[in-house]
Formats: sequence, C-alpha cells, structure tokens
Amino acid sequence: MDFMKKMTKRREFSSIIFLFALYAIVGIVNPAFLKLDNIMLCLNGATVYTICAIGMALVIFTGEIDASIGATLGLSAAVAASMIRDGSSSILALLIAICIGLVIGSINGFGVAVLKIPSIIMTIGVNGIVRGISYVYTGGAWVENVPRHFKEVSQMGMFGLSWFYIGTIVIMILIHFYVTKKRHGRYFQAVGDNEDGAIHIGIPVTATKMISFILCAVCASVASVIFVSRIGFVTPTSGNGYEMKAIAACVIGGISLSGGIGNMIGATFGALIMASISRILVFLGLSSNYDNTITGILLITIVVIDAVIQKCNIEKARRERLAAKTAAVVECELEGGNKTCNRN
Amino acid sequence: MQQKLKKNYKKLKFRWEYFLVLLLIVEVVIFGTLNPRFLKPQVLFGSVNDFISICIIATFMCFVFITGGIDLQAGSIVGLTSIIIGVMWKYVGVNIYLACLIAIIIGCLCGALSGFFIGFTGVQPMVVTLGGSFLYSGLAIAVSNISKTAAYLGISGFPEHFTAFTKKRFFGVVPAQFLIFLALVVIAYIILHRTKYGRKVFLCGINQNAAGFTGINTKLIIMSTYIFSGMAASITGIIMTSYLGSSKSDFGGDLTMPIITAVVLGGTSTLGGKGGVVGSALAAIVIGIMRFGLSMNGMPNQYLDIPVGIMLVIVVAGSCISKNQKISALLHHYINIKN
Repeated sequence: MDFMKKMTKRREFSSIIFLFALYAIVGIVNPAFLKLDNIMLCLNGATVYTICAIGMALVIFTGEIDASIGATLGLSAAVAASMIRDGSSSILALLIAICIGLVIGSINGFGVAVLKIPSIIMTIGVNGIVRGISYVYTGGAWVENVPRHFKEVSQMGMFGLSWFYIGTIVIMILIHFYVTKKRHGRYFQAVGDNEDGAIHIGIPVTATKMISFILCAVCASVASVIFVSRIGFVTPTSGNGYEMKAIAACVIGGISLSGGIGNMIGATFGALIMASISRILVFLGLSSNYDNTITGILLITIVVIDAVIQKCNIEKARRERLAAKTAAVVECELEGGNKTCNRN
Repeated sequence: MQQKLKKNYKKLKFRWEYFLVLLLIVEVVIFGTLNPRFLKPQVLFGSVNDFISICIIATFMCFVFITGGIDLQAGSIVGLTSIIIGVMWKYVGVNIYLACLIAIIIGCLCGALSGFFIGFTGVQPMVVTLGGSFLYSGLAIAVSNISKTAAYLGISGFPEHFTAFTKKRFFGVVPAQFLIFLALVVIAYIILHRTKYGRKVFLCGINQNAAGFTGINTKLIIMSTYIFSGMAASITGIIMTSYLGSSKSDFGGDLTMPIITAVVLGGTSTLGGKGGVVGSALAAIVIGIMRFGLSMNGMPNQYLDIPVGIMLVIVVAGSCISKNQKISALLHHYINIKN
C-alpha cells in the first residue's frame, strides 16, 4: 500500500497508466496489436523520439526550451547520410554529426545563457537558420542510396528489440541516475526550480544552461544517425516538427515546462506514447491522418487534468492547514480561558 | 529620476518604430537598386498579397504576447477555417458569405478553447497552443476527408464575386486586402491603446496578481486575447481562400515562425507588458518585403528562413544586450576612454 502511494505520487505515473490503458483498449478492439512482435516494433519505432525527448528533458529541467532540434536533426541527418553514401565509415559520420550538434548547441546556449535571449525566440530563429543551411547543403534534393549494410544495423538486435533501442534505454537510465543522484546532475533541476536560489548557493547557472543546450543538440544529432539507419533516406523536410513532438513527449511524461519537475523515465514513456499513436490508429482501422488530432487532444487533456489535480491538491493542503489552525485556536480557548495563547 | 526614465522609455519606444520605418526604406532602396522592376507600384503593392497573412495575424498576436503568453496555433487555424469555408459552401450548400461568417465564429471558438484552458486552469500557454496546433491541423484534415476530394487538390470553383474581391485593386495599384489590413490595424490600435480594455491587457502582462487585486477579471482578459488571435487567423484563412481560389487544409502551416519573428521584431516583449500594434504591423511588412525582395533577386524560396532567422536573433540579442547592465556599463566605460 505504501509502495502504491509512493508510485501514484510520482510525476510519470499518470503517463505509464495511460500507456497501459491505451494498449489494453487497442488490444481489446484488435487483439493482433498485443502480439509481442508488434509491441517490439512500437518500441523500436520510438527510438528517435526517445533520444530527442531525453535531450529536450535536460533543457526543460533548466526552465528553458529548445525549438531547434528538428532542424538540427535534419541537417545532421543530411550530412551523415551523404557521408555514408559516399563511402566514409559510419563512425566518422557519427562524429561529424555530433560536431554539428555541438556547434548548434553552443550557439543556442550562448544566446540563451550568456546573452539572456528568451529561449523560445532564440531557438526558433536558429531553427530557421539551420533549416535554410540544410537546404543549401542538399540543394533541395533527397539523400538516397544509403548502403544496405548501414541500414541493416537498425534491424539487428535481441528478442526483437534493436540494439539502438536497448542502447537508448541504457543511456537513459544512466542519465536518469546522473540527474537524480549525482551532485552535478542535480544542478539541472536546481537551476530550473529556482534560478536566483541556485545563483546564491553557488551553482554555475550559465554553464549548466549552456551544457543542457549542447547536450540537447548532441542528442538530436545522435538521433539523426539512427534516423538515417532506420529510414534509409533524408528529404529536405526530414525532422520538421520533431521539436514539437519532443516537447509534447516530455509534457505527456510529466515534465513541467516551468522547470525543475519531472524525470527521464516519464520522458521515455511520453515518447513511446507519441510514437505509438500512428501505429495504434492503423490497428483501429482509422487513417493515420488523424495522428495530429489525437496528439493534440492527448496533450491538452493530460496537461489540463494535471493542472486541475495540482490546483485541487494545493487547495486541499490549504484547507487542512486552516482546519488545523482553527482547531488549535479552539483548543487553546477551551483550555486557557483568559490566558493569552499562541495561535500558531 | 523616474520621470527621466519614463521620458527615456518613451523616446526609445518612438525610436523603435522609427527604426522599423527606416529599415523598411533601406530595404526598398537596396532592392530597388538591385532590381528596378521592384520599385514599380504594381509589383511593390502586389507583393503584399504574399505576406498579408503574416501581417494580419501578427497585428493581433501582439495582444497575446503583451499578456505574457505565446500562440503557436494561429497557423493551423488558418488551414481549418479555409477548409471549413470550402466544405460549407460546396457540400453543405450555404451561401459563401455565411460560410465566411461561420469560419470566423469557428476561429474565435478555437481561440476561446485554448484561451479558456490557459486563463482558467493556469497551464503554460506554450503547451496548450502547441496541443491546439496539433488538434486544429488534425481537425482540418478530418474535415477535408468529409469532402471526399484529395487533400492535396483542395476545393475550388468558388463563385466569381467571392474570388474577385481580393483581386480588386483600388486606384489601380492598392490591393483590397491591404486596405482590409489597414482597417484591422486601426481597429487593433484603438482596442489596445485607446480603450480601458487595452489598459487591462497591459496590466495583465505586467503583473497578473496585481491586476487581479484591482478587480480586473484577468482570466477573461487572457482568454479574450486568444479569441482575437483566432479571429485574425480566420480572417487570414478567408483572404487566402479568396485570393488563391481554393480551400486547402494545409494553408498557414509554415506561418508560425514568421509571425513570432514579426511580433518580436515589432518591439513586443515575450515576457509581457510591453509592445504595440503599430510595431508588429510594421515589422511584419519589413519581414515580408525582405522575403519578397530576396526571392525577386534570385534567392530560392527555401533559403529565405536564413536571413529572417538571422535578423530575429540579431535584433533580440541587441535588445537583450542593451538591457544588460554589465555590458552597457562596459560599453559606456570604453566610449568614455575613447572620448
């Protein structure tokens, strides 16, 4: 019972329950959905979203937001795909992609942390610039003909799970422990929870924000290489809208946009929900055109319910405090008669 | 001291809008010298058709920014209203102007729904409008599925008098939608800067709690700003449908970034409490002319995000640096040394 109470208090609890409920309902309508193969496909399909959401979560922890990862993903995917197509080794392509992420993340971080530009505006601007650069790089053409051996990497794995997804989960757990247990990792949430307080106790706020943006862009770059391996081609609009999907995944997973609240596990489940929706629609016999509608309804419902519950909790706590106070006063008056008593 | 500050602030504000006018003139001169065809009144005013949607939405979007919010859903409301006009007219059989009215009402309702959640439950505006942008673009696709025409074809064949309106040119050069835009700017200016309601909007942005304590219904005020922005988006949807002669569900999908750029470039603070209608409208025109001029001088359409993005970052960085006391003190120090 105690364990259950603890679980329900956790932020990601509602999203986990929601995921299971969703799967159960779809399973009742179409039992084929709950086959092991299909669930593994859902998990594998969530790899790119999950990595993006992990990076995004780090930025959102510090109370900022990064709307540029879609373009970062598109540009590094285009560069990595064309390098692999032209015969360079995939490790080199990955390194170059990470370098692109480092540069874009540093620009974002410099603007937000050092110049104090509001993060949404800075990153929307950078998104446009990077998107334009990737058009210049590809010349508006598709990058195709990625060699077969590179595409096959995404098919390899264990028990139907690809190595990529297993690796993602392992890294997610490592980052989760770093962020929740380690001294430097806890800086991220400390900065987002109370920035002035963090400055006063000597946390390097500027550096923390900068690092969060760099890590977010690097995550997008790593995701881009997996994207190339999974999809096999890159269009000029690849990665469009990933920033919004990643933000939505974080929010569905219980991470508060005001910063400091939430954790990586929630983000992972949020990403899984986001990635499963289009597959679920197919199994329900609906057109996957309704993907956006469902995503929108889901996002608004979860966030609004969460806000209402929190409001109720605050109100309840206030009432309890008030009741305790009046009880104390009444007791005091009964006991003390004319004596003065401390009402607190 | 305070009066001095106030004076300085007023001066700065004026200067900002003057600066935008200056920027506009510089742009026209540069593009005019690069390509003399650009200066023809026919071409110059004709270009307004390309970016009128940014102008109209940005003018009303600054209401939302002034209350400290942000609105990412306007683009998808444009598509939704456009497809609703088409379906209403062709498959339900209502009069085209009645369909437009219905579209405006639906645009207002979309804004009201998001505004309700933002105002009354206190969820961050970004999340709700992000969800709204998914929801309304999805609804637009759902509505277009009703129409049984392929989504990429759109619904066309509107009556002549409906499409002719936006192709009309007053005095031979000024397109009708430019006049609509001017009228909307005047209306927005009066609402925001000359009425009690406008003052309440500003106060909500400066300090929502204080506004609440003075007896202002802050929740309703915040909700109303989103209704305005939804209304502007639906008017844009009508104009686009009329001008292009077809209604499609994906109109306006790529408007979000230019709109936010225009509002911010217009001197409206994203933290709320500062800004103006005239600045947003001017900035939207500056961006539109820049995009038009660059593409006229042979820059491919897809590259246009680069200069707009660079402009956005530089302008915001400049205004943030000028606010930063440490850096401005350093600058003053160096200027003094030089003198």
